[in-house]
Amino acid sequence: MADTLTPARGAGPSGGTAGDGGENADGTRPAGRAVPGTGSARGDAPTADDRATNFFRTVAGTRTSVASRLVTGVNRSLALVLLAGVWEVLPRTGAVDPVFVPPLSEVLLAWYDLLLDGRLAEHFQASLTRSFSGFGLAIVLAIPLGLAIGWYRPVADFLSPVLELFRNTSAVALLPVFILIFGLGETSKIVFVFYACAWPILLNTVSGVRTVEPLLVKSARSMGLGPVRLFQKVILPAAVPTVFTGIRLAGAYSILVLIFAEMVGAKAGLGYLIQDSQFSFRIPDMYAGIITISALGLLFNLLLLGVERRFSTWRTT
Amino acid sequence: MSAHGRAGRRGTGAGRGAVEQGASAVPGHGAPAARPAKIGIRDVGKTFRVRGSDRPFTAVDGIDLDVREGEFLTLVGPSGCGKSTLLDLVAGLTAPTRGEILIDGRAVDGPGLDRGIVFQQYALFPWRTALANIEFGLEAKAVPRKERRERARHYLDLVGLDGFGQRYPHELSGGMRQRVAIARSLAFDPDVLLMDEPFAALDAQTRESLQEELLRIWEKTGKTVVFITHGIDEAIYLGQRVAVMTSRPGRIKRVIDVAFDSREGDLRADPRFGEYRHHIWTLLRDEVAVAQEQERTIG
Repeated sequence: MADTLTPARGAGPSGGTAGDGGENADGTRPAGRAVPGTGSARGDAPTADDRATNFFRTVAGTRTSVASRLVTGVNRSLALVLLAGVWEVLPRTGAVDPVFVPPLSEVLLAWYDLLLDGRLAEHFQASLTRSFSGFGLAIVLAIPLGLAIGWYRPVADFLSPVLELFRNTSAVALLPVFILIFGLGETSKIVFVFYACAWPILLNTVSGVRTVEPLLVKSARSMGLGPVRLFQKVILPAAVPTVFTGIRLAGAYSILVLIFAEMVGAKAGLGYLIQDSQFSFRIPDMYAGIITISALGLLFNLLLLGVERRFSTWRTT
Repeated sequence: MSAHGRAGRRGTGAGRGAVEQGASAVPGHGAPAARPAKIGIRDVGKTFRVRGSDRPFTAVDGIDLDVREGEFLTLVGPSGCGKSTLLDLVAGLTAPTRGEILIDGRAVDGPGLDRGIVFQQYALFPWRTALANIEFGLEAKAVPRKERRERARHYLDLVGLDGFGQRYPHELSGGMRQRVAIARSLAFDPDVLLMDEPFAALDAQTRESLQEELLRIWEKTGKTVVFITHGIDEAIYLGQRVAVMTSRPGRIKRVIDVAFDSREGDLRADPRFGEYRHHIWTLLRDEVAVAQEQERTIG
C-alpha cells in the first residue's frame, strides 16, 4: 500500500547548502488547505503541502535583511487588512446584503459578546476536547501500526487489502455508521475524528519507513548493526520528518472534520454554534463561530510546526 | 610532502617485499608472503537473480586477490564491472555465490567492525552532527559515552575538521562531509578500510587535497586500504599496487606494482607516472570497449 503516497522527504543526506534558516514562513499557510475527502485527495495532500512549504521557505530564505523581512511582513498583513476592509465596506455600501453578510465590525462585536457570556468558551472547549482526543488517539495508534507496516513485509501484505479499502472510504460516509454504533454522544465524534486523522499519520509513517535512504541502511549494516538497533538508530530518526508531515495534516483534519460532526448531531461545540446560529438567524454569531474555527486551525498548525522544528532541526529544506 | 619513498613510507614491516619491483606486471594475485594475507579473495563469484529474466546476472567471477597487511591497494575497472560488488562482498554485506573471502585467514560471514566502509555519497546520518556521526560506530561497539566523545574529537581533528563537530552534514561542503565519513570509519579502529570511489563526487581541487590527506592518514594509522576508483591517475597516485579488472563478469586482469623512487614534488609529472598510466590505460581500453558494448546490448 501507500504507493500513491509520494514521500514528503527533504533533500536527504546529500542535498542542500548551509542552513539559510527559512523559518516562520509556514505560519501563513491556510489551515484548511487539505480537504478531508476521498482517499486519493488525502494521498496527494502531503506532496502539495510540502511543495508549498518549500516554496515559502525558499522565498523567505532568500530575504535575510531586517528591512526586507519587514517588507514581507507588511506585505502579508496587507492582504488580511484588505480582506477585512472589503468585508467591512461591501455590506455597508449595500453591495452585498448586510443581513446575510454583516460587516466585520458587527461580527467582531457578536464574537465579543459570545466571549463575555461564556458561551464561546463552552463551545470552544467542547470542540477542542473532541479534536484532541481523536487526534491523540490517532497518533498513539497509527504511528506504531505504520512503523510495523513499513518495516515488516508480512504485516504489510496482510493488512494492505483492508487498509486500501478503508482508505478509500470517506470518513464522512462512515459518520452515520459511527453514530449507529457509538450513539450520538462524544464517542462517535471522537471515533470520527480519530478515523479521519489516522490515515495521514499512518500513510506518512509507512512511507517514512519505506523511503529511508538505502545507503544509510547499508552504511549502518556495515557497522554491524542488527535489525533492532538499525530500526532504533536509523529507520526511526530518518522517518521522523515524514511522520510529522502526517501529524500536521492530521492536526488540520481533526478540526475540519469535527465541525462536520458537530453540525450533524451535537448540543455543543463550534460546529453546533455555527449551525444553530444559522437556524435561529443569528447571522453575526455564525460568522463569529467560523472565525473562531479558522483561528483555532491556524494556531494548531503553528503549534505543530513548532514541535516539528524541535524534532527535525537537521532537515535541509 | 616529504618522506614518500613508497617502500619506506610506513613503519609496519608487513608485506613490503614485493613493492620495489618497478613496473613489472604480476598476473593474478600477488605472490603470497610467508604470513597469511590480510584479505584473501579466493575464486570468488557472485551471481544475482534478475527480475523478469531466467538468466542469472554474473557480477564478478573467479576473483583471486590477496591484499597484504598495511597495504594500499587500488582497484580500477570499466563501469559496471562489479567493483562495488566485490567491495560489498569483502564488507560482508552480501555473500559470495562461490569461493570465499578471508580476513586474517578467517572466512567472512557478515559485516563487522574490523572493516570500515567509505561510500562515494558519504552516507552520513543527516540528523546527527559531525561528532555524533563519528560516534556512530563506537556506539555499535558499546564504547562508553565519554570515551566515545574523546575518540570522535580525536578523529575529527585527524581529518582536519577541528571546530566543525557540532555542524550537521547539510551545513558542510562535500569535501568536509567525506572527511567526516572517513573519520567515522576510522573511529571504531578497523584493520581494513574499504573505499568505494570516495572522491568521485568531489571537485578536482578538493579531490587532490583529500588524496594527500588520505595518504597521510594511512601512513599514520597503518590501515590496510582497498580503494575503488575509475580514475587511472588516482589509482596510481594512491596505490602501492593497482588491480585492473575486466569488464563484466569482473575478474582481476592484472595487478601492477607501483613504485616511485621519490615522491617529492609533483608526482604526476614523473615520467614513470606516465608509463604506469599508459600501461593501465592500455589494459583498460579493451575492457571499456567490451563494457560499452554490453551496456548497449543489455540496455
